[in-house]
Amino acid sequence: MIRALFFGPVAERVGARQIEVDFRPGLTWRALRDQLAALHSEAFEIVSIVAVDGRRVAESDAAPLRDGAEVVFMSAFSGG
Amino acid sequence: MSDAVRLQLEDFSLDAEISALRATSKRVGGIAVFLGCARDFSEGREVAQIGFDAYEAMALAELQNLRAEAVSRFTLIDARIVHRLGVVEAGENIVLVAAAAEHRAPALEACRWLIDELKARAPIWKKEITPAGDAWVTPHP
Repeated sequence: MIRALFFGPVAERVGARQIEVDFRPGLTWRALRDQLAALHSEAFEIVSIVAVDGRRVAESDAAPLRDGAEVVFMSAFSGG
Repeated sequence: MSDAVRLQLEDFSLDAEISALRATSKRVGGIAVFLGCARDFSEGREVAQIGFDAYEAMALAELQNLRAEAVSRFTLIDARIVHRLGVVEAGENIVLVAAAAEHRAPALEACRWLIDELKARAPIWKKEITPAGDAWVTPHP
């Protein structure tokens, strides 16, 4: 199982703070993003930062996700 | 003594944070502070409250990294960072950054660097709650 998490404006647009997706070998965060963006296009329009297991990832990062991974899709930060 | 880096729902005491910094060493020659407060207006609109959401695990780790980086980069004696989450009423405290050093220049430079980096690196989001409705804030450069 992969846990996709959302916060702030992204969570509001998705209408949920978490979506669980079945694990499949070779799944990358980009493939997960594409899968979820097809269902929640308005939310993913503002996603600009992604973290896997608490670490920010680059667009070029094609490493497969582990079973149990936590993937967070975030908009630009506005704290402080 | 409370942790030097915290995310918390409740308000914090500026005096308590400064006292904690002063207690770390008698080598402290200056403490620079940035205190972010909730304005009651934004872009011509009345703002009653500000709501904060965060990816807490990553935000706390980033703030702890920032403190360690600031201590090393500016040769600080110590630094403290406190950010509130949840709903903050207009006029209340939002965030505190305090940097203690032997001299004023590194304390002031570190304080500015810390709040700028916090805004860029900490996964925290702000929503203005107004009589006309709520709106997530788009970050300013």
